[in-house]
Amino acid sequence: MNNFWLIAKHEYKRIVFRRAFLLITLAVPIGFAALIGLIAIVQETKKSEPQPIGYVDYTGMVELARYPASDEGMTPIVEFTDETAALDALQQEEIAALFILPDTYPAAPQTELYYLENPPDGSAWRDFNFFISLNLLASYPEDVRHRLIAGGNITVYDIVSGREFREDGTINVVFPFIATIIFFTSTMMASGYMLEIVADEKENRMLEMMLTAVSPGQLIGGKAVGLLAATLTQLTAHILILAVGLIIATPYIPTLQQLVIPWGYVGVMALFFFPAYALIAAIMIAAGGILPDVQQSQQIAGVLNLLFILPLFSVVLIFENAGSPLVVFLSLFPTTSFLTISLRWGVGTVPLWQIVTSWLILVTTTGLMLWTAVKIFRAGMLRYGQKLNLKGALAALRS
Amino acid sequence: MHIVEVSHLAKRFGEVTAVADVSFTIEPGEIFGLLGPNGAGKTTTIRMMMDIFRPDAGEIAVFGGALDMAKKRRIGYLPEERGLYKDQKLEPTLVYLATLKGLDEKVARQRLGEWLERFDLAEHRSKKVQELSKGMQQKAQIIATLLHDPDLIVIDEPFSGLDPVNTRLVKQVFEEQREAGKAIIMSTHQMYQVEALCNRIVLIDNGRSVLYGLVNEIKRDFAGNAILLEGEGDFATIPGVLETRKQNNGTWHMALELGVDPQAIFRHLAAQNGTRIERFELAEPSLDDIFVNVVSGNKEDS
Repeated sequence: MNNFWLIAKHEYKRIVFRRAFLLITLAVPIGFAALIGLIAIVQETKKSEPQPIGYVDYTGMVELARYPASDEGMTPIVEFTDETAALDALQQEEIAALFILPDTYPAAPQTELYYLENPPDGSAWRDFNFFISLNLLASYPEDVRHRLIAGGNITVYDIVSGREFREDGTINVVFPFIATIIFFTSTMMASGYMLEIVADEKENRMLEMMLTAVSPGQLIGGKAVGLLAATLTQLTAHILILAVGLIIATPYIPTLQQLVIPWGYVGVMALFFFPAYALIAAIMIAAGGILPDVQQSQQIAGVLNLLFILPLFSVVLIFENAGSPLVVFLSLFPTTSFLTISLRWGVGTVPLWQIVTSWLILVTTTGLMLWTAVKIFRAGMLRYGQKLNLKGALAALRS
Repeated sequence: MHIVEVSHLAKRFGEVTAVADVSFTIEPGEIFGLLGPNGAGKTTTIRMMMDIFRPDAGEIAVFGGALDMAKKRRIGYLPEERGLYKDQKLEPTLVYLATLKGLDEKVARQRLGEWLERFDLAEHRSKKVQELSKGMQQKAQIIATLLHDPDLIVIDEPFSGLDPVNTRLVKQVFEEQREAGKAIIMSTHQMYQVEALCNRIVLIDNGRSVLYGLVNEIKRDFAGNAILLEGEGDFATIPGVLETRKQNNGTWHMALELGVDPQAIFRHLAAQNGTRIERFELAEPSLDDIFVNVVSGNKEDS
C-alpha cells in the first residue's frame, strides 16, 4: 500500500478508536433523537387527549352544531348558557378554558378568556377560531366559506432554479440548520484534531524518523485524509441515526411530513464541504507548523475558527436581506462561503454565478493554502519548542 | 561504490553557518564515527544527508546518487530528536513504522517478534509507549531503526539511556550489522564507544572536517615519540630517552629523543640484566584526548 494511504489508514484508526470519538459519534445523534422523541411524545399526548374548552354566547349567532366535533384531533367545545356554571366547570377542570362572547361581538371584535393556570394551547386557539369563523360565515355558500377560512397561501416559484417557496415553508430552513450543525461540529473537530496531529508529530519527536520514509506532503496529506475519513464516518453515523429518527418521528410531527430532501442543495453543499474542510485543515497545519506548542496553537485555532462561523453572527442580515453587498461578500469569501450559501438557501435562491465564483475562489484558496501549509510545516517541523517567525515562514514559501 | 559520499557540504541558517565544509565517504561493512563538540554541525550534516535540509553548497550521494524514496527505504535512521507515539501501543507502532519503510505487515510482525525477544521487550508489546521506561523506549527506537533491515544505518547517540547490559547488547547488534555488510554512521560523544566500534571517523568542528581517517592511523599520528612501560629495573638512564616519568598507576612514561626508534629502546631493555618487562607499548593518546586537543586547539586558533 502506498505510504500516503498507510498514513491515512493509521490516522483514521487512531482517531476512530478513541473513546472521545465514539462518545461524540453516539451522543450527538442520541441527544437529537431524544429531542425528536420528546417532541413526538408531546405531540402525541396532545393529539390523543385534547382538553375541551367552553364558551358562553351572548350574541345568539353561534351554533355549536356547525362545529365538526367528530373530526379526529379537533378540540371538543362545550356550550354553556350560564356563565356561573361555565366558571364552575372551569374551576372543576372540566374545561381547559372559557371564552365569553359578549353581545357587542362581532361589532366590537373582543372576547373574554378565562383559564386557571395555563392559557389554552395552539390547537385549542386554532379550533375555537375555526368554530367562530364557521359561524360568522354561516350565511355564505359552503365552498366560499371554506375558501375564506383557508385564507391565502402564496407559493413563489423561482424560474432560474425551479425551486418553490411556500408561505408556510419554515421546513426550508431545516436543511440549512442541519448543514450548519454538521459544518460547525466538523470544523471544530477538524481544527482540533489537525492541530493535535501536527503537535503530536512535533512533541513526540517523530518527524525526523517519519521524513526518512515519507515526504512532508504525504505525511500531512495522509493525516488530513485519515481525519476526513473519520469525520465522514461520524457524519454518516449521524445522518443514518437522524434518518431513522425522522422516519420514526414523521407520522407524529405533521411539519416533518412536508419535508422533501433537496438533492440539488445537498449536492452543492457537498461540493463546498470538501474544499472548505481541506481549507480548515490546511490553515491548522500551517498554524501548528508556525507555533511551538499545542497550547498556543489552540488559542490561535479559536480565532481562526471564527473566520468560518462568522455567517452565524450575520444570520439576521442573511435572512432579511440576502442580496446585500455584505452577504454577497460573505458568500464569495472562502472561509464563510459554505455557511452563507447554505443559510441563504433556506430563505431564497443564490444566483448561479455566485455559487460558481464562490466555489472557484474556495478551491483556489484551498489549493494555495495546502501548498503554503506543507512548506511552512516542512520549515517549522524541526524547530522543537521554537516559533517559526515571519521571515522564516516567507523564506520557506520562497524555497 | 561508496554507500555515502559527502563532498564540501555547507549550510547556513540566516547569519549562522551551521556547516562550512564537511567531506567524508562511508563504505559498506564499516561503522563510521561522526564526531564533534556540541553545535559543531553533526546533526545538520546528518539532516542534509537524510534530505531533511537542503545544502547550500556541496554534493551528497547516497547509494550512488541523490536520495529518493526508494533509497530512503534502505536507510534506518535514529535521529537525535527522537520518540514514538506515546499514546499508542508498542507493537502496532513499530509495525506501522516498518510498513512505511516498505516492509510487508506480516513480515514486519514476524521480525518484530524476534527483535522484541532479543531486546527483552516481548512482554511489553501491548503496552503503550508512555508506559515504558526510558531505556525500553530507547531499545524500541533502535528496533524501529533496524526492523526493515536497512543497508545504511544512521544513529545519533544510540547508547543514551541504556544500562551497561543493554549497551553491550546494542553494541553486539551493531557489530552483527557491520559483519552483515551494512554501513553504520554513528554520532556520539562517548569516545570509548567510538574506539570500541568505529573503523573510521570524521571530527567536525565549527562546521568543518578537521580530522578524518582510520581510527588506528589517527591515534598513531597523534602519538608523541613516547613509550609506556611496566616492569622492574633501572629505567632512569636509558640512552635515547629524553625524560622518564613514573605515572600514578605505576606505569613509566618515557619521552624519546627525536629520531630514536622505540624498537632500539626495547632491545636495550631486553639486553639489560635484572630488568623485567611486563608491558611495553607506544604511548598512543585516547580518542578522548585527541578530541579535546583538536577542539581546544581550534578554539585557541580561532
